[in-house]
Amino acid sequence: MQILERSQKPGAKGEIQFSLPEIQEFRLNNSLKVLFVKKDELPIIRFNLITDAGGKYDTANKKGLANLFSRVLDEGAGNFNAIELSDEFDSLGTNFNINCFNDNLHITLQTLAENLDKSLELFATVLTSPHLDNKSFGREKRKVITALQQLKDSPDEIADIAFDHIVFGKNNPYAYPVVGYPNGLENISTEDIGSFYKERLGPADSTLIVVGNTTREILEEKLNNYFSDWKSTSSNPQLSFPNFSYGSKIYFVHKEGLVQSEIRAGHIAEERSKGNFFSKHIMNIILGGQFSSRINLNLREDKGYTYGAHSRFNYLKESAQFLVSTSVGSEYTGNAINEIIRELNKIKKGIKKEELAFAKSSVTLRFPGNFETYGQIASNLVSLVLHSLPQNYFSTYLNSINNLNEEQIIQAAVENINTDKLSILVVGDKNLFLEQLESLNINEIIELDIWGNPVL
Amino acid sequence: MDLLDIEYQKYKLENGLEVILHQNTNLPLVSVNIWYRVGSANEVKGKTGIAHLFEHMMFQGSQNVPKEKHFKYIQEAGGTLNGSTSFDRTNYFEKVPSNYLELALWLESDRMGFLLPALTQEKLTNQIGVVSNERLERYDNQPYGLAWETLISYLYPERHPYSWPTIGHMKDIKSYTLDDVSSFFNKYYSPANATLVVAGNFEKGKVKDQVSKYFSELGSSGNGNITSLNNFPNPKLDKNVFIEKKENVQLERIYLAWPSDKAYGKDDSSLDILSDLLTGSKSSRLTNKLVYEMEIAQDVSAYQFSGKYDGHFMIIATAKPGITLERLKDEIFKEIENISKNGVAEKEIIRSKNVIKSSFIYSMQNSDVLADQLNHYNFYLGEPNSFNFDLQRYEDVTTEYLKNVTEKYINKPFIELQIKPI
Repeated sequence: MQILERSQKPGAKGEIQFSLPEIQEFRLNNSLKVLFVKKDELPIIRFNLITDAGGKYDTANKKGLANLFSRVLDEGAGNFNAIELSDEFDSLGTNFNINCFNDNLHITLQTLAENLDKSLELFATVLTSPHLDNKSFGREKRKVITALQQLKDSPDEIADIAFDHIVFGKNNPYAYPVVGYPNGLENISTEDIGSFYKERLGPADSTLIVVGNTTREILEEKLNNYFSDWKSTSSNPQLSFPNFSYGSKIYFVHKEGLVQSEIRAGHIAEERSKGNFFSKHIMNIILGGQFSSRINLNLREDKGYTYGAHSRFNYLKESAQFLVSTSVGSEYTGNAINEIIRELNKIKKGIKKEELAFAKSSVTLRFPGNFETYGQIASNLVSLVLHSLPQNYFSTYLNSINNLNEEQIIQAAVENINTDKLSILVVGDKNLFLEQLESLNINEIIELDIWGNPVL
Repeated sequence: MDLLDIEYQKYKLENGLEVILHQNTNLPLVSVNIWYRVGSANEVKGKTGIAHLFEHMMFQGSQNVPKEKHFKYIQEAGGTLNGSTSFDRTNYFEKVPSNYLELALWLESDRMGFLLPALTQEKLTNQIGVVSNERLERYDNQPYGLAWETLISYLYPERHPYSWPTIGHMKDIKSYTLDDVSSFFNKYYSPANATLVVAGNFEKGKVKDQVSKYFSELGSSGNGNITSLNNFPNPKLDKNVFIEKKENVQLERIYLAWPSDKAYGKDDSSLDILSDLLTGSKSSRLTNKLVYEMEIAQDVSAYQFSGKYDGHFMIIATAKPGITLERLKDEIFKEIENISKNGVAEKEIIRSKNVIKSSFIYSMQNSDVLADQLNHYNFYLGEPNSFNFDLQRYEDVTTEYLKNVTEKYINKPFIELQIKPI
């Protein structure tokens, strides 16, 4: 029997107390910039090293170099071979990972406080005296080449790679997959790996983020001690990131036997520092940034075409893309694309007051929760570094969101979503969707290979 | 201070709902986590996937919560949420700013007590579409995506509750009616068949009243307590079983599976350590040999899967182009023989133990992970504060025991699944 009056949703009970973690900044003797947040609940210390050594520096005939470098970097250093080095980290229970992205190389290390010295010593050894030897190089290169062959099995990865290629255009470094191409990898030698290390991996082009159970004084002393042999590089290559303009087109990659269509729809966008980031962010929350956003509610909760559909601005350092992504049953390909375009047009015409209130509320009330774990705090600091955000970014964040009005949101949609310049990509079995694409009223339909190049 | 000794309070409401409270006031966040003691193991052949489809229906609103609003209300409050279904259980969880605790309790209690009045054919039809697409996206359209369901169908006897996949067969998913959904709810979604964990920042003097306010009045429908499943044959192989499949993949892959021990059975932790020292790191036996030294495998992984009723041990390896699966298999078995004859080094076990020990500490960062773990221990062991007990299971593993476990389980008949390109 129902006694409690349940029809009213309970609201907030009182106010919560939340204070932002304090960020301390200092430089080591070797000029490495350090951002430190002290966090004491658990005996954990987390390091994220961001280095300006991403895939964007790959030259035309050696795509995949930066990524391959990132894979060889911890295959032996100092007195340890690849296996021994991994054993050393494991015996401490320390997690150590290296990942390569378009803009940067990211090295993360998570250690128990009691093993801080030993972990830092190993970390510094990897930075200052990696072996980068022939044997490891050959093995890792063969692994990546095999992985590229396996990539043909994954429609979502094909879609991401081909979409970057058509959206950024072939003169833009971001048009190329960080993993590289099979033929480009063949051109890379051990010497290239060595030169990349000498030219790109230096403290002056890096930022170290530290979150954990220690003090600034102890940290500064230990880092100066262990990292003192890590010296800066001299090279400073200049890259250009030309914008690429085109009309609305449909592209597809054919893979026989797929039972779903992977869909991407979008275009190039302005980098994070341009325009009003906050109004774009809130506009996207309303449009497709969350489960309760328009696109997901339409394609999933209303139509049942998909398990999920989302939109986002994907910000890189020098450019960005806006895209909608989803995977739908093949029979819904055409309808899903129509619904996506309809939603992109619709948001330029207006939003409801409640939608804005919902988006603001969800983003601002979520804010304290973004600082829960050591990893979350570190990745917040990473975005400060990646996009050169101002020091007061987090302390002014809530105001920046709360001050937005409906006009600004609509303006963000009008200025940043361009349905006349939409690239639409479908990866799937063309026998199941090609007729649906032809009926979409978009002039050009172009078949691509899995790397995003037109099939002639 | 012992970080892994978690303070908690556990009690039962009159309707049978079990409640576990764990306070942590470091941050202004609170996690609500409910485990219902029902999973796909409670289904029957021909009616597979309903536990998971039902999980979806739990997000479609209840008597006082309109469709689409469950997600919306939590997200509006800055919270995160989801649910998941496994063989043994279904869980639902929210993490919200601590002043929104009652919102989460209201939502969870409304669907625990009053889901059926809001159930419609339209919602069911829609979610059958969503779940069908989930199956396509996560299994049918994935390379090697059907390997798991093939393996368990051979590994577990026909009437065994782990012999079908949790996502369910497509034909079954499409067949569900409103009656199926209502009976499932009435049978399994009673307060007496659930445990609620509230973990994080709450007021000690108030939280029991808050829980009671929303959950006490819920009646226990159906039978209340669900008894354990029984009357099914345990997996046992008399001889090796060989399966070959041709699929749309680039590289050949081999799966080897042995019936093993259940969750928290006496050999479960040794089998975890065995998997770690076979493939858990670069220096682990199979990774080192197959991927590093010989370069005949692109990847190799091993793990112990263990559920409430049974478990199995798996080794999976993908062949480099031009390498036969027979070659991989030979090398894998040479290593297994080596371990069961000569045992392992103390150093290998210590490495695994250290990795496991630090991962326990790392997992404490997240209040929703912690809340789910309290429910996990409570479900499998009857004691939420089992972190130290769990860790001790690994500490107790010796080189001698590991050798025996290898002999006992892995030197026995197995299922072999080979997947090759068309």
